[in-house]
Amino acid sequence: MSHDRDPLESADDTIIAGRAADGDTAAFSVLVRRYTPMMRAYARRILSGSAEVDDVVQEAFITAWGQLPKLDDPGRAKSWLMRITSRKAIDRVRATRPQVDLEEVVLPAPELCAPARQAEARAGVAALSDALQELPAPQRECWVLREIGGYTYEEISDELGIPLSTVRGLLARARKDIIVRMEQWR
Amino acid sequence: MNTHDTPDPLRMEPDDLDGHTIEELSDYLDSGRSPADPSIDESAGCQIALDALERLRVLTPELIAADTAAESEADEGWVQSILAGITLDARAGRRIPIVIDPPGPDAGITEGAVREVIRAAENTVSGVLIGRCRFDGDVTVPGEPVLIRVDVSVPYGQPIPGLVDRLRTEINMRLSAHTTLNVTGIDITVSDLRHPSSRTGEER
Repeated sequence: MSHDRDPLESADDTIIAGRAADGDTAAFSVLVRRYTPMMRAYARRILSGSAEVDDVVQEAFITAWGQLPKLDDPGRAKSWLMRITSRKAIDRVRATRPQVDLEEVVLPAPELCAPARQAEARAGVAALSDALQELPAPQRECWVLREIGGYTYEEISDELGIPLSTVRGLLARARKDIIVRMEQWR
Repeated sequence: MNTHDTPDPLRMEPDDLDGHTIEELSDYLDSGRSPADPSIDESAGCQIALDALERLRVLTPELIAADTAAESEADEGWVQSILAGITLDARAGRRIPIVIDPPGPDAGITEGAVREVIRAAENTVSGVLIGRCRFDGDVTVPGEPVLIRVDVSVPYGQPIPGLVDRLRTEINMRLSAHTTLNVTGIDITVSDLRHPSSRTGEER
């Protein structure tokens, strides 16, 4: 873990993001190394395994570099980077999604044959992961933005360009479907 | 509150939730179950759903941690591909005049360059790392009083007053050598104490 290569690696975000805001590319590289895995994971959840994940994260970092001087509290860099990541991911979603009535996207009834492979310590996380994968895209996007990204309902509505009532409906359905699927392995 | 005779705990329709919806129950959880709503608290169906929602809530951070751990580390090629896409000149900032006596040709230094001068002071104070650096005062006007504010990270276990004093002296010397700013003070805020085996990835 600590191969003593760069002392910056061990400094906190306030220092690292503050330096990067001031133009230090070495500090920015540390931010990139520190948060690439988390940003990839987040983008992958929003885009559901799409090959565009790396493009999204790369764009997010480039945008972040440009906006860092405007970040009031560099200690908040992590959640700020996550925000930028989801915006970039949503841009992809909005650019590629055919215009459909989101309310009409329904989930096929879950099959009642939970595979036995999940009988292990990580079963809960694995079950949640599977349940998320099986959600229709609009439900999954709303759920990920809300529960992982910490978005408010209003923010999701703005970002996805869908009515607030639709967001509420999609989230309720996502939660219900996830719970129903997850209860199957318990 | 007895839930064991419920034949199918998976049903989450309003009929099963005594007229409530999953959305209402999520909001109820978000509000910390406050103010208490007896029609929810006393409904077996709602309690089953609330328990399930809470389990989901506990699992979510674990999912993020597992997802993050499953992603590959950023390799050097990745870091370089991002650095290749950023523009450096945006950080130059304002132009700070350099007053020459006797007055000569116009001279100046950018804010970005002054910040680099300040950051370089860390090289002489072992273990100190300088974070954000701010100028209070109009640096573009010769002679205007300017307060320098910097965040610093120091290694755990070294006397902080000594480190801060040495750093302040060092910054002051360098600013005098490279600028003609009228520095009224150098505020140093220690915002980070680094432990020997500190993080290499905040999320690991």
